Amino acid sequence: MASSCSQALRHHVCKSSRILRIHLQKSWPKEIVIPKKKTWSKEAVLQALASTVKRDPTASDSRFQDDPYLTPKTSSEFKLFSLSQESGRNAAKYFINTYPKYFQKDYAQPHIPCLMPETLEAQIEEASEAALIERIRMRKVKAAVDLYDQLLQAGTSVSLDVTNQLLDLICFCGDHDPTQENVPEQRNEETEDVQDEPQAKKGRASKASGLLKATWKENNNAGRIFALLSEPNTHSYSALIRGMVKYGAYSKAFSTYTDLLNNRLKADVHTFNALIIAAPEVKEKYNEKWELIVDLLKQMAEQKVKPNLLTLNAVLKALRRCGTLGKSQAFPVISEMKALSIETHNHAFPIMLCSAGAPIQGQTDILQEVMNEVSGKSFTAQDPDDAQFFITAMRICLDTKDMEQAYRVHELLGVGENWRLLGNDFQQSIYYARFFSLLCMMENIDVMLKWYRDLVPSVYYPSSNVMRDLLQALDTDNRLDLIPQIWKDIKQLGHANRQNLVEELLTLMAREKHNQEVQESFAECALDIKKIYDTGDRGKVLLSWTAGSLIDLISVLLAAHRRQDAWEMLKLFKTHNRVPSEELLNKFLTCVKEAGEVNQAVELVQISAGFCLPETPKLIQRVQQEFELTEQQRNMLSDLEIQTFNSD
Amino acid sequence: MATSLVRQTKLLSIVSSQLNPAACFRNIHCTAACLKNRAARIREGKGDKSVTYEQAYHPHHIGHRKGWLSQHTSNLQGEDGAAERVVEDVFIRRFMYGTFHGCLADEVVIKRRGNLLVICAVMIQKLLPSKFYFLIGYTEELLSHFYKCPVKIEMQTVEEKVVYKYL
Repeated sequence: MASSCSQALRHHVCKSSRILRIHLQKSWPKEIVIPKKKTWSKEAVLQALASTVKRDPTASDSRFQDDPYLTPKTSSEFKLFSLSQESGRNAAKYFINTYPKYFQKDYAQPHIPCLMPETLEAQIEEASEAALIERIRMRKVKAAVDLYDQLLQAGTSVSLDVTNQLLDLICFCGDHDPTQENVPEQRNEETEDVQDEPQAKKGRASKASGLLKATWKENNNAGRIFALLSEPNTHSYSALIRGMVKYGAYSKAFSTYTDLLNNRLKADVHTFNALIIAAPEVKEKYNEKWELIVDLLKQMAEQKVKPNLLTLNAVLKALRRCGTLGKSQAFPVISEMKALSIETHNHAFPIMLCSAGAPIQGQTDILQEVMNEVSGKSFTAQDPDDAQFFITAMRICLDTKDMEQAYRVHELLGVGENWRLLGNDFQQSIYYARFFSLLCMMENIDVMLKWYRDLVPSVYYPSSNVMRDLLQALDTDNRLDLIPQIWKDIKQLGHANRQNLVEELLTLMAREKHNQEVQESFAECALDIKKIYDTGDRGKVLLSWTAGSLIDLISVLLAAHRRQDAWEMLKLFKTHNRVPSEELLNKFLTCVKEAGEVNQAVELVQISAGFCLPETPKLIQRVQQEFELTEQQRNMLSDLEIQTFNSD
Repeated sequence: MATSLVRQTKLLSIVSSQLNPAACFRNIHCTAACLKNRAARIREGKGDKSVTYEQAYHPHHIGHRKGWLSQHTSNLQGEDGAAERVVEDVFIRRFMYGTFHGCLADEVVIKRRGNLLVICAVMIQKLLPSKFYFLIGYTEELLSHFYKCPVKIEMQTVEEKVVYKYL
């Protein structure tokens, strides 16, 4: 039987395969095209695996260890931990570079150059061109300049290329060695003895130079070396002009440019970019500035220098300073640049957007156009201001209250490499703060909470202002029952010591009457808040009681029928010199009446009299009417009545 | 003294072989003993010494009740470099012990995945988290440069050393 079954099966298979073959022969073309062999990159498997994994909203940033003790919970902790990790790396780098002989053994095949110790000192000692090139490569400005002087004095000529490289280095670094960021004192000393250049410096520039930037000194090395050159070429002029523009010597830059033209040399695209940036600083009136820019562009066309992306960016940045004229000119500029087939990256637009100050409708239109163009594409950073794109876009969405656009912008962030354009941690927090505020304003509470759970605290640590926005959103949507959860988050984020945030929380809880469970949770939350007020580390007081906060807290406790706790809190009025309000005392009296505590009622009246409240006679009347009093208590009350009557 | 000992050994062996010709040669063992039955074992004491799980179980329990502290592929058939891995491991353990002094709750586990060296450690919450991160950054950077391969630390913290039993 089995054999006949198998035979039948075989027959069936043969038949079906024959049918299949016939079908295939009909549908297949006569020619069989063999596809080209696909070559995969070495990381293809890893990339495919990585595309299956999304961000984990319950974990903190990947640079931290996955342990509750070691996870940062507030934004200050985030900064502290990442900085301490970096400083550990720097400490290790110091040891590696100071004792390189222990790290020379090379296990790695192929060789990994970034894991070898760096040579910090220049190797070649004797005065030669090779030594100069080495010092330029290591960015040792002073040593390079000294060596150059030495070479010239010794009589050896230095080639124009190397001199140009030296000029590049000096002009880029501003004639001092590139110092580390954590040594600001040195920079300040250098800028102290700068002589003021009356034309180049405006008020703003001098303030900035005092703080961060060095400025272009009158007789610095770049100018001197440039003067020593017998035949400066385009590159040398370009280096000098760009250095001058970078460090604020704008009019000098223009005079150098005139020199260049007098020497019948052509300027390159970088020079023109620098000059366009410098143009608004040199002229006063808007139309003069614009005319200068147009003039430069015309010269660029004459000298057959092709403009690039940075040119467009420079023009748009300059137009920012041109006021109303700038706004009208920006679009034609962009369309012309498009005609020249320069890739107008999204980066050009935010600068444009900043320039379009007043007309808000204009801004949304521009943003819409931009988003239509760039959605779904991945970009790389090409201009130093590119990191501002997402922040500016989100600011416009916030100003115009446009939720759709905000979602589109946020989606763009997830495409490809675009997350790199978000900037450093600080800029990231600004972006998310704006996104969150917009969500709080515009969306209903469920969507808001979904985003909240997704982003907080894995990506973003909200500030106390954003938490207040969140509370207001809860209020608007009538979801005040979520307040205890939000309070836990506030405590974890470290905002529990903000006076106005806590007071707003208490006010929201005390305002209305809710059902029993909610009131219970409110009472727990209120007692928790009370702990914050009372205890401080080593006697340090974090928050001070105000009348409003005390009243709110006691109301919340009373609403949950926590009479004992409320009674203890009432004593705090005296200790902190705050006055209770009338309705609070009335509420308390009602609560006491429900419990039937006559003694407490009398004590309440005494407290009220102690504060000399105008409500006291009414309270006395209420107590006399509603309670059953003993003789002693009745006497006490009548005494008080007389007292208050007399004092009025 | 050594030569006299050798001569005595020879004498002894000759005497013993003559006495009992069927017996095999048994010489005096004059090198250091391997002590395989005393390694990695904490002996039972009065009952006041706390031991962790790792310390409580003896080496013959590896694979049955314990895992391996060092995971790499050099002990497989046809793979080489086992001795170098052992030396690296010893260095890494001493380095961790010294850098995170007093913080280690248990032995360090070292895993090798391709080029990557993963050091898994359980620490006591003795230092502030920022100090831990400083030491983590320092260790990762220094060991990467030393061994020319990426080194990652995976750390877990406990409040105090986890005691398995008292011996």
